[in-house]
Parts: sequence; C-alpha cells; structure tokens
Amino acid sequence: MEVSREIYWNVGHGLWTLFPMYLLTIVSIFVLVSASRKRIRLYQQGLPLHRSDQIGRRVWETFKNVVLQKKVVQATAPGIFHGLFFWCFLFLLVGTALIVAQADFTDLFFGIKFLKGTFYKMFSIILDVTGLVAIIALGLLFLWRYLFRWQGREDHGQYLVMHGLMMAILLTGFVIEGSRMAVTEIGTPLAQWSPVGNLIAQSIAWLDEDGLRLVHKSTWWLHFALVAGFIALIPYTKFRHILTTSSNSFFSDLGLKGKLTSLDLEDEDKETFGANAVKDMTWKDIFDTDACTSCERCQDRCPAYATGKPLSPMKLISQLGEAARNNPEANLIDVLSHDVLWSCTTCRACQEICPASIEHVSKIVELRRSMVLMEGEFPGEEVMAAMEQAEVNGNPFGIGYAGRGDWASELGVPTLAEGSDFDVLYFVGCYSSFDKRNIRVAKSFVELCKAAGVKVGILGKEEKCCGEPMRKMGNEYLYQSLAAENIEKIMSYGVQHIVTTCPHCFNTLNKDYQDLGLTGIEIEHHTVFLEKLLASGKLLIEAAPLSCTYHDSCYLGRHNDIYDAPRAILEKAGVTLVEMDKNRAEGFCCSAGGGRILAEEKLGERMNIKRVEMAAALGREVLVSNCPFCLTMFEDGVKGAEVEDKLRPKDIAEVLVERLC
Amino acid sequence: MKILVCIKQVPDMESKFKVADSGKWYTTADLAWRMNEYDEYGVEQAVQVKEQIKDADITVLSIGSGQVKETMKKALAMGCDRGIHIQDETAFDKEPYQIAGIIAEYAKDKNFDLIFTGMQSQDRGSAQVGILVGEILDIPSVSTIVEFAYNEGDVDVSRELEGGIKAKMTVKLPAVFTCQLGLNTPRYPTLPNIMKAKKKELLTVAVADLLHVNARLVTEKMFLPEKKAGGVILEGEIAELADRLIAILKEKSTVLA
Repeated sequence: MEVSREIYWNVGHGLWTLFPMYLLTIVSIFVLVSASRKRIRLYQQGLPLHRSDQIGRRVWETFKNVVLQKKVVQATAPGIFHGLFFWCFLFLLVGTALIVAQADFTDLFFGIKFLKGTFYKMFSIILDVTGLVAIIALGLLFLWRYLFRWQGREDHGQYLVMHGLMMAILLTGFVIEGSRMAVTEIGTPLAQWSPVGNLIAQSIAWLDEDGLRLVHKSTWWLHFALVAGFIALIPYTKFRHILTTSSNSFFSDLGLKGKLTSLDLEDEDKETFGANAVKDMTWKDIFDTDACTSCERCQDRCPAYATGKPLSPMKLISQLGEAARNNPEANLIDVLSHDVLWSCTTCRACQEICPASIEHVSKIVELRRSMVLMEGEFPGEEVMAAMEQAEVNGNPFGIGYAGRGDWASELGVPTLAEGSDFDVLYFVGCYSSFDKRNIRVAKSFVELCKAAGVKVGILGKEEKCCGEPMRKMGNEYLYQSLAAENIEKIMSYGVQHIVTTCPHCFNTLNKDYQDLGLTGIEIEHHTVFLEKLLASGKLLIEAAPLSCTYHDSCYLGRHNDIYDAPRAILEKAGVTLVEMDKNRAEGFCCSAGGGRILAEEKLGERMNIKRVEMAAALGREVLVSNCPFCLTMFEDGVKGAEVEDKLRPKDIAEVLVERLC
Repeated sequence: MKILVCIKQVPDMESKFKVADSGKWYTTADLAWRMNEYDEYGVEQAVQVKEQIKDADITVLSIGSGQVKETMKKALAMGCDRGIHIQDETAFDKEPYQIAGIIAEYAKDKNFDLIFTGMQSQDRGSAQVGILVGEILDIPSVSTIVEFAYNEGDVDVSRELEGGIKAKMTVKLPAVFTCQLGLNTPRYPTLPNIMKAKKKELLTVAVADLLHVNARLVTEKMFLPEKKAGGVILEGEIAELADRLIAILKEKSTVLA
C-alpha cells in the first residue's frame, strides 16, 4: 500500500468535528469580511482615481512584490527574514489547502486521494521543513524588532500578540504532528519524511497512547482556534497588511516615475485646489495609509529626518491614516504641521524603498498646493520673493530676463530666434544661465558639443525657468504659466532634440510638460547625451586619472533611474571612482530638491554639509555631480564642512572638458 | 467705505536700462514689468482695511498703455474690487503734477474715504503724486507711512522721518496716504482670487477726459551716472589691512575725526 496518512486522524470526520470546525471558519471569515467592508468605507472618503488599467502589468507587479517579495528583501536583514517567513507561510497555507481539498472535497465526493506515495512524502517533508524555517524566521524577526529596533516603535502590545499568535500556530502544528506520529508513524520509514515531527514524536513517546491522543486532540482544536482567531484579527491588527499591502502593489502608480497630476486651471467652477482635508485626497492616498507596515525604511532613508527636521515619511502616512479614521474633517495641514510638509525635498528615497507601494511625494505636493494656491503661504519670505521674481523675470534670482543668454555670447552659441541651423536645443536652466559657478558647467557642455561637431542652439532670453521648483513647492499656477511659455517657444522653432544640464529641467520637460503639450521631442540629460557621443566616437577624450566620488542626484537617479551613463563617462575619462555608501537608489539628497533650492534651511542640521562629509570621508579629490542644484549645495557644503582645500565639487561635464583631445 | 489705490507699472529694477533716443526717458526694449513696490503696500493696506471692516469697496487706478492692465490684474487678485485704467500711451512723459491732476479729476466726485499711493515710484521717484492728489482734492495727506490702524473713522498712522525717527498721528478721513517699505507684507494672490480677478470690472477711460492741468515741469535730459573710479580692494595680513583701512578713513573721511 502507498504511504499516506489519515486526515482527521484522532479528531474524527463526523458532524461533531466538521460542524464546529466550519462554524468557527465561517465566523472568522465573516468577521474578516465585515470588518474589511467597513474599512473600505474609509477609502471611499477619497476622490476617484483610476488604478485598474493595464491588468496584466498590475498582476505581474503584484506577483513580483508579493510572491517573490522583490521589494521586501531589498533591505537585507529584516527583509530576508520576512521573505523566508512569507514563503514558508505560503507553503503551509497551500499544504493546508491541499488537505482541505482532499478530505472535504475530492475524497468526500469522488473518493479521490492525492496525498499519497511520493507526492505525500514530498508534501510531508516540505511542510515539515518550512514549518521549522518559519519558526526560525519568526524568531529572527522577533529578535530584530525587540533587540535591535526597539527604539521609537509604538504599539508593542499589538506586535507581541501578532508574534505570539504566529509562533503559537506554528508550535501547535508541530505538537499535533509529533503526537500523531508518536502513535502512528514512529519507527516506520515514513517518519523520516517528517524530521521535525519525528523529533517531537520521540521526545513525547514516553506518554501512553491515550495521553498522546489527548494531547493531539486538544492541541488540534487549539491550533484550529488560533488560526480562526488569526483570520478574524487580520482587519484589526497590522495583519491587515497581508491584504492591503498586496493589493497596494496591484494599485501602484504605473505612470511615468514621479510625474505629478496636472491641475486643470481652466476650470472656472473649481474653487479649491490641492488638498487640505481627507476628502481632497484620492482613495489610494487613504488606502496607502493602511498598506503601511511601519517598517521604517522610508524614515531610515529620509534626508530630512536624518538631519533633524520634523518630517518622517512613515509618521506622515500614519497620521494621515489616523485622520482618515478618526478625524476626517480635520485640516490635514495643521494635523501634519506646516514645517513637516515644507521639509520634504521630494527626493523620493521613501517611495523608492517602500515595499508597500506607498506614494509619499505626491501627497506632500498636493498638501503644499493647498497652502500655496489657497492661502498664498510659503515656507519663508525668501520663497515668496523667488516666486515673484520668477513671475517677473522668469528666474528665481530676479535677474533681468534679457541677460539670460549673456553667458553664451563669447562662445558664439546662437539663439534659435537668430534663425541659424542647430542639431540640439540646449535648455540651459536658471542656474547655468545666471549662476557664475554653473555658467562654467554650461560653457563646458557647449565646448564638448563643439568638439563633437554638434551644433547647439539656445533660447536665450526667450527661455524661462522650467518651473520645477515652483511646482514642487505647490505653485502649480506659476509652473503652468512658465511651462506654457517655454512650450510655445520650443514648438514654434520645430525643435526635435533637447538636452539639459539640469536633471530638474530634464525631468520636467521630459515628463511634466507632456500634459501641457510638449510631446514627440527627444529630451535628454547631458550625461546620457555625452555618453552616447563618447560611445559613438564623435566625442574624443584623452583619459586622465582623477580620484573622485560620484553623487547620484535624486532627479537623475531615483526619478529617472539613470545610474550607469554617468559612471560609464567617468570610466572612459580614466577616473577612479570610489562610491559613497549611499549611492545609486540610496543616494542622499543634497537638500535642494522639492523647491527647497529657493528656501533657507532653518531646521535641523544642514543636509548639504552632511552629504559633503560623506564624500570627504572617502578622501577623494573631487565630488562629481550632474545637477546645478547639487553643485551649488556642495560648493556651499565644502565650506560648511571645512573641506574646501580637500574636496572640489565638479559637474561631470567639467571633468570631461578637461580631457578633450 | 470707498477706497482708492493708485498703482503704477514700472520696469523691474534688475532690467538693463538704456536711454531712449529722445534722451528724456528709457527705452522699453527688454524690460520686465511689475507693480511699483510701494504701491503694493498700498494695495495690501487697502485689502487689510476691507478685511477689517468688511463693508468696503476698493478701486484700483492705473495710468498707462494697455499693458498696465496686467499689473492691475494682480491688484484685483490681491483683493481690489474694481479697476479704472486710464489709457495713456505717453504716461511716462507726464510730470507728477499732471499725473496727480488726472487722479484728482477722477476722484473728485467719487467720495473716496481713503486714498493710497506708493511713497514714490521706482522709476521716476518724484514722491510727489500722492501728496499733490491730497492738495488738489483739498484733503489731508500723510506721506511715507509705516504703520496704519483704522478705528471707527479715524486712522492712527506712523510715518517715517529722517534718521529712523517715526511720527505718530491720528488722521480724520478722507485722507491720502503714501506707503513706505515696512508698512506690511503684500500677500501672494491665491489661485481662486486670481480666477475671480479675471471677472472683475476693469474700465478703461481715455486720459484726455481727465487731464485738465498743464505741466509745470519739463524733463531736460536723462542720462546714466558718469562712471567714477572703482573701489579699492585691500589684500594682505589682517593686522596690516586694519592699519591701512584706518589710514584711508582718516585721510578721506571724517568718520574718525
């Protein structure tokens, strides 16, 4: 006879077993469903948002992030523990489902048993081992939380119950297995296919059969009750993340990375702009708050949090959820605090690492929109002044607009208005047009283009600020007016190809301007453009050694995933690059994103100094960056960190131009 | 209560100015335009009064070509109720008495309780218009105000005098006030107010209908200041620098006398 085991051994399969068993199941599922339905009403307070298009892609995203735990395991230590626990849990769930399927369905109705023979042996050993691994993983998670990451955690009671319940379910499972095996399997060849169960069986084999049967039966019911309790607890505890976090992966933003929604400013009936209450947020914004598992990864990476500012992305999400549940009428800006909302640099570190697909940045910008557009409020008078300057002169410095192209006059760069032939439009941006330090970058870029035989044209005084800092600060109106003027000019000259030396301009022209009609044009950041010129052999340089470290700007890196092109340039330039700990997607913001370039940094430590110190610690000569905001902050940061004579900030174009043949 | 705010559209002071061929004013090429800074304080003060007493109507007035309506829209977005645009292509050519005459002619039968102007314009800088309006209308005027409080028909103001001294006074209405830096922080217009401003009344009146006074001043010539010798940059050791600085101050100034 083929090996197998008797399902419902010792507990029986009669009405006295099945009735209470299924009753308990139905009650627990009823609790789960009714509480979840109530919870869904919370999300329905929000505005509509279409997040069920592209089903195939969404299913794939969900598969990657749930079944494969892709984002979860990115943070190695607790991530791997969670991954292991999850996968074991999944196996145990499938195993249990197979038992139910056979005992209460295929066998009951059709007399088909599939848990037998080799399949049963595999089934047995897999469940036995995954049970053990799950216990180990759970133990590690417990130690991680209570030994290493105790500080600042809340809700200890809830988490203790959750850990305890999971552990009790796993342990009782083994006791059931062991006591059954002590009576039926011990000493048989089959026992080796359940090594853990066998070990337990041997350790309790001293009990007589009645005793073992009593232990088995009572533990079986206890185990069952614990599982039913677990199901019922899902909607009331952080166990809810099993449902919400997985669903959130399905509902994740599949649009262009970091692209904000454009407000319709033509709609004359609209009286409110941005969000200042729960009802102004989308349902997804509220759902996000339930998908959060408080894993702290966002907080660990938030440059504002790391420099003592009041913002914690995690806390922001939990406060938002709290407001949605208990105080939906509240003014969210007051609940979260103005300083919290102004502290964000929109660097996207929180969103990039979040294993729960939460969208932090768009919420913050939406709330800022309300402050700026509805109240005329800014983080400081200097920001309001910069906005007014940009309105008048098209740049936040307030320098006369007519001089925007002056930097280029000695290089003989034509403006498009002059009607000369050009290959690419160089969208210079405010910093490279007016800021002395960054003009050197613009000049380097033009020289490189000339050397490669690329004819560059600029808009000169017809160019305006791209509007990015204003937009991120919440000033959608000013952003759209600036953008409209730029787009009209760009379109009128029939431009086919735009290159920027600023990742903020690049991101804005490439993504944000699409909503306002700038489409069908190739738009590149100079790192990508120059890398292609090098690769195609059009741009010839002589490699020369230089010891440097490289800073991934947030808008080239996390917002656009461009990490390799600049590194390839540096390699071709003969540069020895030593990476900072926080590199690529983990790059640490220079402080100037999110419109903070316009604002004074009054709270906490200086972010730029902190980043410069990370670079200086490597003892390299040069800190290479790819962004005028970063370069400006680093020039200031080397002074603040008192490493001016040791570390020189440079743009990647400056490194290249020094190596022109 | 009826309030009149007079504003002027001026070039942004960061612009590159060139003297026009006429030799009497600047060219308008490559200039960015904005509301005269001091007039913004006037607009803000008017709106604050309205917020305080609720029952008030603010008229914003500006003289110039059609282009000044852009600046008037900002005043309307900040909270003015209606606009009077006095169409005049050669407003830049008119001297302060003529400008004041136009404003007074418009205001004389309108019973404005409060009239705000800037302390001076950023381009011509005569600082006369507001005071002349008061004189022509025969009502009190207070110049360079830095504090303003309205209480039941009276107004308590502080005006800035030379050397950081301030004068406090109480004024009976109607009266004209010219506004100085420090009076308030002009608000940033909110988007709903920008939208509403587009629908507010903005009437245009021809300047000929209101200009009944003759010029008393003539502009002879406009020119850029002559370039004088540049500054001196001292370099060297700090102690030595200090000695040299003291020597220069003794020789060329009276600060150490």
